[in-house]
Amino acid sequence: MIAIEYILIIGASLIILSIAIAKLFDNLGVPTLILFIGVGILAGSEGPGGIYFDDAGFAQSIGIIALIFILFAGGLDTNWKSVKHTAWHAVSLSTAGVFLTSIFIAVFLTVFFDFRFILGLLIGSIISSTDAAAVFSILRSKNISLKGKVKSILELESGSNDPMAVFLTVGCIQLLTIPEKTVLDIALLFIFQMGLGSAFGFLFGKGLVILINQLKFSYEGIYPVFTLAFAILVFGFTTLLNGSGFLAVYILGLVVGNSSFVQKRSMIRFFDGLAWLSQIAMFLTLGLLVFPNQIIAVIGLGLLISLFLIFVARPLSVFLSLSLLKLNWREMTLISWVGLRGAVPIILATFPMLAGLPDAEMIFNVVFFIVITSALLQGWSLPLAAKWLKLDEPFKPKISYPMEFNPSEDSDTEVIDLIIPYNSQITGKTLAELDFPADSRIVMIWRNEKCIIPGGGTILETGDALLILVNKNNIERVKEIITPIHPS
Amino acid sequence: MKLFELLKEEFVVAQLQSSQKEDVINELINLFKNDPRVANLEKVREAVLEREKIMSTGVGKGFAIPHGKTAAVNDILAAFGKTKSPIEYQALDSQPVNLIFLLVGKDNLVSRHIKLLSRISRMMNKDDFRGKLIEASSKEDIIELFKKEEESYFEV
Repeated sequence: MIAIEYILIIGASLIILSIAIAKLFDNLGVPTLILFIGVGILAGSEGPGGIYFDDAGFAQSIGIIALIFILFAGGLDTNWKSVKHTAWHAVSLSTAGVFLTSIFIAVFLTVFFDFRFILGLLIGSIISSTDAAAVFSILRSKNISLKGKVKSILELESGSNDPMAVFLTVGCIQLLTIPEKTVLDIALLFIFQMGLGSAFGFLFGKGLVILINQLKFSYEGIYPVFTLAFAILVFGFTTLLNGSGFLAVYILGLVVGNSSFVQKRSMIRFFDGLAWLSQIAMFLTLGLLVFPNQIIAVIGLGLLISLFLIFVARPLSVFLSLSLLKLNWREMTLISWVGLRGAVPIILATFPMLAGLPDAEMIFNVVFFIVITSALLQGWSLPLAAKWLKLDEPFKPKISYPMEFNPSEDSDTEVIDLIIPYNSQITGKTLAELDFPADSRIVMIWRNEKCIIPGGGTILETGDALLILVNKNNIERVKEIITPIHPS
Repeated sequence: MKLFELLKEEFVVAQLQSSQKEDVINELINLFKNDPRVANLEKVREAVLEREKIMSTGVGKGFAIPHGKTAAVNDILAAFGKTKSPIEYQALDSQPVNLIFLLVGKDNLVSRHIKLLSRISRMMNKDDFRGKLIEASSKEDIIELFKKEEESYFEV
């Protein structure tokens, strides 16, 4: 047994290294997935790190836990109002689209490589889900955003297609390992899984919001922890009852994120951080798990599947599943092109290993290679594709207000907002003329919906609202300065 | 964020019952009693009265805008009421007050809070708008007046 401090030092160093490398490559638009996995590979037994790790079960557990957090955080951060109008597109892509992609891959592997159809379908299912977070982080690093519907379709699709891919993968493994299972069983299971998953996600989401609003915890930090435990519980229960736990946590996040409750802001921050930690931990683990030497053997097959997926399977399934939903060809082409594969396929690729399928090693290596090529090829060309299709627009950062300030209890300084009284004699004067006490400041002036950071020459107007920092002992003095009123 | 959208009917009182400064503020705060965005009404009261203590929010011309920020709400809430007759409010111009606008905001929405204060202040500085508000006899009329005034404020 290695001493705990070694494990901690190694784990923490890998995380810090990953973050540092992500920062270093920030402007190059390389998907963070590639970078984090790269760190994992280098730390692994075939890299300078030399850490030998081949515990697929452990990697899968990390992957599943990470995915719970990532999906919940994704739902939490999705503004339902702004994506609602694309809900049908997304649902269509994440059900019919995912299914078609898997079928096309299966046909391709059966016809050209003599695979058993179900085995082909298994590989197709594993690589069928997309990762929009990767897409948006690449775009953000290039300071562009996508126009109109495309953005929200991709956002919603990538959150909702993971449960479908998980389901298909598990379904195929059942067909391969349990002889008496029929396709009909799997179809019924599908309806049950998705039905129960969405119902539980929705109901527990509503319940959680009521709970958060009713329970008055004394410490703000308790709220996210409570929510975290609740989300894990919902995943566990839903899965236990044969429902789709992943769908349940995603919907749970959606419902909670779009309700109003007191500690929402701190909650979103907490889960944003947790999602990052999950991503890094997951990619590092997957990087450690893979043995690059074994990948070389499957490069030919992997590359062909990749190219088929990128140029045939994804576009065909996108165009087919969106055919009824009025989108123009440019939008559909872009959606086809940004079908980046992320971590989910690699996690799913550990499923056959644990199920003891004979081809599990080959499947894992092929999937790993496909994910890397998709992330590299589509990731890099993404900004260009958006530009060509004229669907790019400048990235607008989230509106952040100039100040968030909580006065500290042990200081004499108060922050107060103040409206200049009507007919006050200070209107028309510059700040320099006011003779404000030295330890008090007008920090901000709001006027006509705009914020002014004042200087000595700024002239005050009637209707201005001020944010002032003022020493408690000087409040009377400030009052004396602003109160003299002109006779009206 | 539009003011008239914040001013739901249940948050507007055409004639307040109270005639003392603190009672009037309390009467308006009590309108938020059953609102799900409020976690703790007493905390709201505390925040508003605390701010009032530092400096009166009677900004002159018969108008007062009690306001406060607190973690006990998760949004910005507004209420408006008129007193039966002008009341003593320790206003900064020493005149009695009859129009009262209450604004309560979540503690970390500092900028949005001040922005609204400034907008309300501008709108209420207009003599004819104040005159119309004083004449209005129903909640609906009051909300409609705010809506129109706010629209013309944004047109300028």
